[in-house]
Amino acid sequence: MLNRKVLVVDDEIHIVHVVAIKLRSNGFEVITASNGQEALEKACEQLPDIVVTDLQMPVMDGLQLVAKLRESDKTKDIPVIMLTGRSFTIEKEQKEQLQISDCLGKPFSPKELLKKIEDILYQKAVSN
Amino acid sequence: MKPERNLYNRQGRLARFCSFIGVVLAAEIGLLLLAALILWQDSGFGGGWRLAIFICCLASAMSAIWLVWYWYKLSKEITSVAEQLCQPKAALPDRKHYSHTLTGRILTAIDKHLHGYDESVSELNEQIKELKIQLRVLKRQRLNMESIIYGIRDAVIVTDQSDKLLIANETAGRLFNFDYRHSQYKNIEQLLDKNKFNLTDLLQKSRKSRTRHTKYELEIGCNGEIKTFDCVVSCIFDESQNVCGVVAILHDITREKQAARMKNDFVSHVSHELKTPLASISAYAEMLVDGEANNEEMRKEFYSVIQSQARRLNRLIEDILNISRIESGLVKVDKKLVSLAMVIREQMQMIKGYTDEKNIKIIVPEPILYDQIYGDKDMISQVVVNLLSNAVKYTPDGGTVTIGIEVDESEKLARVSITDTGVGIPEEEIGSIFRKFYRVKANQNVAKGTGLGLNLVKQIIEKVHNGRIFVRSKVGVGSTFGFELPLAGARAAEEKIKV
Repeated sequence: MLNRKVLVVDDEIHIVHVVAIKLRSNGFEVITASNGQEALEKACEQLPDIVVTDLQMPVMDGLQLVAKLRESDKTKDIPVIMLTGRSFTIEKEQKEQLQISDCLGKPFSPKELLKKIEDILYQKAVSN
Repeated sequence: MKPERNLYNRQGRLARFCSFIGVVLAAEIGLLLLAALILWQDSGFGGGWRLAIFICCLASAMSAIWLVWYWYKLSKEITSVAEQLCQPKAALPDRKHYSHTLTGRILTAIDKHLHGYDESVSELNEQIKELKIQLRVLKRQRLNMESIIYGIRDAVIVTDQSDKLLIANETAGRLFNFDYRHSQYKNIEQLLDKNKFNLTDLLQKSRKSRTRHTKYELEIGCNGEIKTFDCVVSCIFDESQNVCGVVAILHDITREKQAARMKNDFVSHVSHELKTPLASISAYAEMLVDGEANNEEMRKEFYSVIQSQARRLNRLIEDILNISRIESGLVKVDKKLVSLAMVIREQMQMIKGYTDEKNIKIIVPEPILYDQIYGDKDMISQVVVNLLSNAVKYTPDGGTVTIGIEVDESEKLARVSITDTGVGIPEEEIGSIFRKFYRVKANQNVAKGTGLGLNLVKQIIEKVHNGRIFVRSKVGVGSTFGFELPLAGARAAEEKIKV
């Protein structure tokens, strides 16, 4: 199988680092960004297979990033996993509207995140 | 004119009329006598008859005169009685002064009559007295009730069974924009704009449904701002259990709502801020446990991240607890004489590694002899280190941070300022930077932070030490943060000597 590309977006460098190590050790190619704006630019440029993004970030937050991704034909079908540190989760309607594949609350397990990424990419591959 | 006075006048007129009749009668009798004498002289009556007729005429004349005198006297007495009775607050005339039996009988009759009236009048007076007392009590009760309703800080509106206003207080008048003192018995629909306030509907609905108490939450625009009210509408029932009115009490819960929202935001922020380092700790620990760190260098890096994130978590918890303690007044303050210059020098050492790392030059003034304030050294140290580390954090590498200490003898205060050549703060955000968890949007990429440091600084300076915090900033030029604290007074100096 070709290296699958994951875009990891978080303003917390340690989180990005640990997720990248976990994914790389499991055969993923990892691109990183520290805010939504940077992630949007990298997503349009490198077209990742999946985006893992934090919800609350400076410049452009996770929800704004997903909304922007859905606007472009190139990026509108990229699945997104949202990492949330807030005490409340994203509204169900918003999740459906923005086609957010899954949400994972902080603190999260890198193993669990990896499993979710693999499941989503598998389903995407099957449906294609 | 009073009725009794009228009566006496009539009696006087009657007496005068009777006198007049008597005089006329006597005159007529005299004329008749004269006529009889004339007739008698021309007729053929004898001397005996003539004498008899003369005596009769004389007797008639005498009786007429007596009658006139009698009537005159009677009318005079009655007039006198009537006149006396006409006097204001006149007592019944003494009957000894009146010789005539009829006058006496009239006086007795009046006396008896008046006596009867006296009893009725005294009974009426008693009743009037009681009614006056009851009226006063009722007036006082009404005033008390009005005072209670006017004194209630919540808005109160009371309507009757026809939806007419019975009473409303000042708060209600202000809230719904009507003259609460002069709107009694006006229809509530006239007073409350139905399009703006649905309270009218609630009052009518409650009256029709006979609901004892109903609670609503209303949002009402007041002086350009939307306020939230906790509204309780209650029906009032009379003795027959018919609805005789409706009371609406509106309690302003805008502040409580804001407080709840702020609390929710605070919890949300705290949760986010706590979960961020916790997420790192948890993820790195899991990687170590799962043997994902392949070599010693990686393991060391992971341990180091866990350690730094644990420290961050601890600092965050300490900041939250300190703010909470200060806000609730539970903080333990150990005030002593503190030299600001000493504190600044100590804290500069604390951040030396950070300033060296960023190659930032710190300019410190020469120590001032009398810069002592009376405060909690640990707290003041925290203020200085927070402001210094912020200045270094938001200043690009190779920049400058200038510290200033001034003593204002006239104002009896010490002023510390920390000026950086950093990124600066947009003018529109300066008012918000001391809010909990607030971070300047444009600078969030420049450095990490929780948004609690400046709030803690403000609380320590203004709430604990009665000082003042100030800030000046220009985007791209830099910022000056500083504080003023009262200089240690004579009392503090005395305390130092005792120590």
